[in-house]
Amino acid sequence: MSTLSASFPAADKVRANRVGYDRPVFAYLLNAPALLAIFVLAGYPIVYSAWVSLHKFNLKRPNVFRFIGLDNYSEILKSPEFWSALWITVQFTVMVVALVAILGVLVALLLNQSFPGRGVLRTLILLPWAIPPVVNGLMWQWIYDSKIGALNGLLTTIGAIREYRGWLSEPLSALLALVSADVWNTLPLAVILLLAALQRIPVELYEAARMDGAGRLQTFRYVTFPWIAQVLLVVLILQTLAAIRAFDIIYVLTGGGPGTATTTLTWQTYLTTFDSLDFGRGNAYAYTVSLITFGFALVYFRILYRRGNFEG
Amino acid sequence: MNAQALDARMPSGDTMRTAFLTLCGVVLAIYILAPFCWLLLTSFMHERDALAVPPHWIPTDPTIANYLSFLNPSGTRAIVGSRALEETMPGMVNSLVAATGTAALNLILGTLAGYSLARFRFRGHGSLLGIYLGSRMLPGIALIVPLYLTIKTLGLLDHLSALVVTYLSFTLPFTIWLLKNYFQTIPRSLEEAAFMDGCSWLQMLTKVLLPAAVPGLIAAGMFAFMTSWNDYLFAVILTSTTASKTLPVVVAGFVTDVTTERTLMATSGVLAVVPPLVLAFLFQRLIVQGLTSGAVKD
Repeated sequence: MSTLSASFPAADKVRANRVGYDRPVFAYLLNAPALLAIFVLAGYPIVYSAWVSLHKFNLKRPNVFRFIGLDNYSEILKSPEFWSALWITVQFTVMVVALVAILGVLVALLLNQSFPGRGVLRTLILLPWAIPPVVNGLMWQWIYDSKIGALNGLLTTIGAIREYRGWLSEPLSALLALVSADVWNTLPLAVILLLAALQRIPVELYEAARMDGAGRLQTFRYVTFPWIAQVLLVVLILQTLAAIRAFDIIYVLTGGGPGTATTTLTWQTYLTTFDSLDFGRGNAYAYTVSLITFGFALVYFRILYRRGNFEG
Repeated sequence: MNAQALDARMPSGDTMRTAFLTLCGVVLAIYILAPFCWLLLTSFMHERDALAVPPHWIPTDPTIANYLSFLNPSGTRAIVGSRALEETMPGMVNSLVAATGTAALNLILGTLAGYSLARFRFRGHGSLLGIYLGSRMLPGIALIVPLYLTIKTLGLLDHLSALVVTYLSFTLPFTIWLLKNYFQTIPRSLEEAAFMDGCSWLQMLTKVLLPAAVPGLIAAGMFAFMTSWNDYLFAVILTSTTASKTLPVVVAGFVTDVTTERTLMATSGVLAVVPPLVLAFLFQRLIVQGLTSGAVKD
């Protein structure tokens, strides 16, 4: 969004001189406190953890801090835990992102129509968003509980299952339980963003499409979709990064189990660092996760910017 | 198809459509509400109802005893829920202090940096934005060990201030981004008029710009508050006693807890949801605005 003055560079320049908009020292000064906070508590840790990842350093033997180059990384790439965790991360992320994108679009489309109760629903959708992930995890743990869980109760009452099942103790259902709990928690953000995008579409476009005799699907494909495509990409980016980084929900709901059925890369990082106390390898894991997320972000951003240019 | 036939069909088509949409709305409402209602209802149950098989969906004899017992931690229910009773209220206070402190500092530092990025032209403008956004690229788990060591060196372990500065460092980039965008929507003529009237920069900021930016400030403060309130990973590593344990740490502790009654845990969980939920519903419109201006920007 550009302010009015931005579209008149010359006038802007005159004004800029009058109010002193060319005061770089002042500008740096205004940024100093924020930069300090970020450098000390994000910048330094970022560099330090990269440094540690190049060392043999296990808290069980705190006196050994030996430079070993990229050995931690090559060890990780050779270990079966890494590939298993990577595969589980991929499954978890793909399912969460796909479900959130599809449900997000559908719910946003619904909330963009007029029907009784729409206003209430638009408020209600904020509920899952406002629930802290830890509470969300606890809530779903009780829903999936094998002895007194609500899901077991519901399914037996309607006759879908005969006896109670341990949803969190079977590998596949545990992963699906994790996915559905995370989707419930993160869907609202996607809906809010997509709904805002839908509301920006000029009504005339729909009228024109109707005049041209476009069907429902055609209207979506040629009118709606181009207008929400960019926001949808943002949703995909945010959701992918969040899914790869998911931690709280795994901690509370499955603890990475049963076995390693829900041990994602982030969880594996946690185990290596705080269970095995292998800080060197743990940080190497952390950086591997970071590289993967960074790669994703890069690809998404390229698509995003190419789209931007393409549409002028 | 002639006009009359079309007219005759319209009402029934419209009714069908509304009925279908309403049905979808009901399904959505159930999807959103059911899981949380289960938690909420459990918090109003007696323990025997909460453990019933098949579940008692509606409390047979609803009670607010669970909520009341938090007011009297050493009361009669201390045996079945000592930990929940002792830690929930201090956790609530700690969470509120940490989240409010983070939000306040965010607004101060974010206003300064956001204003400079919105208004000034200077060398390094782009790289500063890059640094702010880039500092969020690493997942929290990658930062936790060095952060722990830094906080330990500063002597701030188990202090709320450690949480505040930590949360500040990773909420600030979004705050700056959001405020920069918001300030850009405020016409410069406002500031210029203030300067013409002889205001100093600080007077202009506090009397003219900030009052005009209230919606943006509220949205930014809200997000900082919510992020801090929700955090578990950093809080569990940086805190150890009720002096600084936040509510998510207390609630996560229940997962392995076999001594505490489930109804008390549910109550504690509900209490952890109240502040963010109240904020979310109170500032609904601003949240949507803030999110869309912060995340969807061309």
